[in-house]
Amino acid sequence: MLRSVWLVPALPLAGAVINLFAGRRLGRWAGVLASALMVVAFALALGVLADLVKLPGDERLVVRHLWDWISVGSFRVAADLRVDPLSVTMMLVVTGVGAVIHVYSIGYMHGDPRFGRFFSYMNLFCFFMLTLVLAQNFLFLYVGWEGVGLCSYLLIGFWFDRPRAASAAKKAFVVTRIGDTFMLIGIVLVFLRFGSLDFSRVLIDCSRIPCPLHVPPTGVYTIIALLLFAGAVGKSGQIPLHTWLPDAMEGPTPVSALIHAATMVTAGVYLVARTHLLFEISGVALTVVLVIGLLTAVYAATCALGQDDLKRGLAYSTISQLGYMFFALGLKAYAAALFLLVAHAFYKGLMFLSAGSVMHGLGGETDLGKMGGLRRAMPFTAAMFGVGALAIAGVPPLSGYFAKDQIMEVANQSGYVVAWLLALAGAFLSALYISRLMFLAFLGQDRTERRAHESPPVMTISLALLAVGAAFGGILGLSATTGRLHAFLAPVLGEVTEGTGGLPTVVLSVISVLAALAGIAVGWLVYGSGWVDWVALRARFAGVQRFLAHGWYVDDVYSAVLVAPGKAGAEFLASVVDRRVIDGAVNGVGQLFQRAASRGRRLQTGLVRNYGLAFLVGVVLIFVYVGVRLS
Amino acid sequence: MTADQIVFWVFAPISVGSAVAMLFQRNAIHAALFLIVNFFTLAVFYLVLGAPFLFAVQIIVYAGAIMVLFLFVIMLLGVDREESLVERLRGQRPLAIVLGLGLAAEIFVAARASLGLARGPVNFDRTVNVGGNAQALSHVLFRDYFLPFEVTSILLIVAAIAAMVLAQRERTAAEPGREVEAT
Amino acid sequence: MKTPISYFVVLSAVLFAIGTVGVLVRKNALVIFMSVELQLNAVNLALVAFSRLHGNLNGQVLAFFSMVVAAAEVVVGLAIIVNVYRRMHTANVDDASLLRW
Repeated sequence: MLRSVWLVPALPLAGAVINLFAGRRLGRWAGVLASALMVVAFALALGVLADLVKLPGDERLVVRHLWDWISVGSFRVAADLRVDPLSVTMMLVVTGVGAVIHVYSIGYMHGDPRFGRFFSYMNLFCFFMLTLVLAQNFLFLYVGWEGVGLCSYLLIGFWFDRPRAASAAKKAFVVTRIGDTFMLIGIVLVFLRFGSLDFSRVLIDCSRIPCPLHVPPTGVYTIIALLLFAGAVGKSGQIPLHTWLPDAMEGPTPVSALIHAATMVTAGVYLVARTHLLFEISGVALTVVLVIGLLTAVYAATCALGQDDLKRGLAYSTISQLGYMFFALGLKAYAAALFLLVAHAFYKGLMFLSAGSVMHGLGGETDLGKMGGLRRAMPFTAAMFGVGALAIAGVPPLSGYFAKDQIMEVANQSGYVVAWLLALAGAFLSALYISRLMFLAFLGQDRTERRAHESPPVMTISLALLAVGAAFGGILGLSATTGRLHAFLAPVLGEVTEGTGGLPTVVLSVISVLAALAGIAVGWLVYGSGWVDWVALRARFAGVQRFLAHGWYVDDVYSAVLVAPGKAGAEFLASVVDRRVIDGAVNGVGQLFQRAASRGRRLQTGLVRNYGLAFLVGVVLIFVYVGVRLS
Repeated sequence: MTADQIVFWVFAPISVGSAVAMLFQRNAIHAALFLIVNFFTLAVFYLVLGAPFLFAVQIIVYAGAIMVLFLFVIMLLGVDREESLVERLRGQRPLAIVLGLGLAAEIFVAARASLGLARGPVNFDRTVNVGGNAQALSHVLFRDYFLPFEVTSILLIVAAIAAMVLAQRERTAAEPGREVEAT
Repeated sequence: MKTPISYFVVLSAVLFAIGTVGVLVRKNALVIFMSVELQLNAVNLALVAFSRLHGNLNGQVLAFFSMVVAAAEVVVGLAIIVNVYRRMHTANVDDASLLRW
C-alpha cells in the first residue's frame, strides 16, 4: 500500500473531474460516487497506516517520487509524497471525517439544482487537502494550500446568487491571501537559505545529527518561521486574520463542517507542526505562536458567548479551539496539538452536522431566538449535539477533556502560570458558551416558527459515526507523554518530557474538570433552568452583547481602516486615473489626429487656382534646390 | 547689328508686351487677340532660329486653328462679359506675382551660368537644314521619330472623338432637368 | 546668328512666367486656358533655341510634337469647358469648387 499512496489523493480528484463533467447526468448518484470514493480512499489510508507500522519506529518515513516537476538550473522541485506518522494521521482525518461528511451531504444537499457540482467541489477540496498533508516539499504543500483556498472560495460561495454568500467567499479568499503571500515569501526565503525546498533537506533535527547548514545567525529562522506562521494565521483564522471565518458560515453546513472545522483550518496547525524544527531554532517564533494562539482562544470564546446565530457561535468556537492548538504548539507540545486537532475534527464536525440537521429540520433557520425545545421534535439530533457539547466543554471521559487537559497540564508544568490561568478561563468560557447554545436550541420553550422534524437516516448515521469518535477518541491520547497517538507521532514531532514545575497532574485535572462543570452549571442556570430571565438580562447588557456579537468590532475596524481607503483608492484610480489620464491620453492621441486632419483638410479648397499656386511653390522650391546643388 | 539682332530686339518687347497685355484684359476676346499677336512674334523667332517649317506651322495651326477655336467657344458661350477684378482669394495675386518673378529670375540665372553667351554653330543652314528645313525635318521625323508620329496621329483621332462625345447636346426628348447618358 | 541663345531662353522663361501668373490670377476659364497655351509656346521657343544651340533637329521635332499634342489638348479642354458651362452657366473657375472639404 505504501507504494500506492498516490491513490489516496487521486481518487477524490477523479471524483471531482467525473462530477464536474457528468454530475448533472449522474443526478443522485453523484453524491454516492463522491462518498464511495472517499470511503475507498479512507480504506486505502488505513492500508497505508498498516504498512507504515510494520516498519520499525525510527524508520517510519517513506518518500514516493511521482514525477520531476520543476527543473530549472539549480532549482529542482519534484512532486513527491511523504508518508510518515504525521502525514498519515492527517490523511486519516481528512479521508475519514471527509467520507462521513460526504455521506451526510447526500441527505443535506438533496434537491439542490447544482447537486453534482457540490460534490465535485468537495472531492476537489479533499484532493487538495491530501496533497497538502502528503507533500514532501514546501512548493507542493503550497499547491495544496492554494487549492484548498480556492475550494473554500467555491464552496462558501456555492449559493452564489446570495449576495452575502458571494461577499463572504470573496472575503475569505482575500483575507487568507494576505497570509498566503507572507507564506510564499517565507518559502522563497527557505529556498534562499537552504538551497532546497525538500523537507528532508530543510527539516533536520540538529539535536541528533550535525547539520552544518543550521547555524547562526538565527535571525533568518525567526523571519522564515514568522512568515510561514503568517500563512497559518490566515488559513486557521487566528488573530488578526480571523475575520473571514464567521462570515464563511454562509456556505452550506457540510462545508462548514469539513472545511472550517475539521480540515482546512487545521492546515495551519499541520504546517507549524511539520516545520516545528525551524520554529525551535528561533525561540521568538514559538513565543509568538503561543501568545497569538492563547489570545485568540480567549477572545474567540468571549465572542462565541454573544452570538445569536447557531453557526456563527460554532465558528467562533472553532477559532477558539484552533487557538488552543496553536497554544499547544507554542508550548512545544506538538503531539498534544495534533491530538486536539483529531478530537476537534470529530466533535466540531459533529456539532456542525448537528446544526445542519437542526437547519434541515427548521427549513434553514439559524437564529437561536427562533429555536428552543427542539429535543422533543429532534431527539436524536439533540443527543448528538449534546455529546459534542460535552466534548467541547471538556467533560471526561470524552475526547475533548483529554485533549484540553493535556495542554493545560503542559502549560502549568512548564512554568507558564499566567498562560495556564488564561487557558483555564478560556475553558470555562468554552463550557459556558457551548452549554448556552445547547440549552437555547434544544431545551426550554419552543420558540420555533415551523414544525421541526428529525433528519433522514443518511444524515443521522453520519452524526452517530462522528459521535463515536468524539466520545471514545480519548483512547488515542490518554496523556501527553504516554498517549498512543503521541507515541506514534514521536519520531516526527519529538517527545514531550514530563514537566517538573507547577501543580501535580491530578490536581490540574481536577481543576480543569471543575472549570468545565462550572461553565455548564452557569449555562444551565441562566439559560436552561428558567430561574433567570435571560431575555431581560440580555436586554440590560445589550451593549456588551453587541460588542461580543460583532467580534469586538474588529471586522468593523478593518472595514474602516483598510477596506474603505482601499475602495476609495480603487475608485480614485478608476474614475480619475483610468478615465481621465489614461483614457484622456489615448483619446487625446486620436483627437490630435482628428484636429490635425480637420485643419489639414482646409488645403482642399476645390479651387483650381489654389492648386496651381501650390504647384508653382513646389516648382520654385525644386528649382532653387537643384540650382543650389549644381552650383 | 546683324539682322537677327535687330529682329530679336524689335520682336522681343512686342512678344512680352502682348503677353502682359493679354494678362490684363478684362474682355476675353481682347485677350485672345493679344495672344494671337504673341504667336506671330514667336513664329518670327522660329524663323530667326532656323526653323522655317515651324514658322509656317505656328501660324497655320496655332494662330490659325487653335486660336480660332478659342474665339469660337468664347463667342458661343458668350463669356466675353467683363470679368470682375476683385480677387477673392487672399494672397493669391501677390504670391503668384512674386513666385512668377522668382521663376523667371531662377531661369535667368541658370541660363547665364550654363549657356553664357554661346551662339550655336555658324553654318546652321548649310549643315543642318540640308536640302531645306522641311526636307531635313522629314528625314528625322519619319525615321528616328516614326513611332511617336504614329502615336500622335492616334492621339488626334482620340481627341476628335472625345470632343464629339463631350460636347454632345442633351437629348431634347428628355424631361427638363433630367440627365440622360453621359454628356 | 549673332544673338546669344541664352537670350531666347530667358525670353522663353519670361513668357512662361507670364503664362503661369495668368493661370493663377485670372478667373475666366478660357483666359486661363489661353495662358496655358502661352506657357506651351514659351516652351516650344526654348526647344527650338536649344535645337539651334546643339546643331541638330531634335528640338524642332519635339516642338512639332508639342504643337500637335497642344492642339489635341485644346480640343478636349474646350469641350470640357463647354460642358461645364452648360451645367453651371458660368465660366468662373472659382464657382467649380465641389471638391471642397
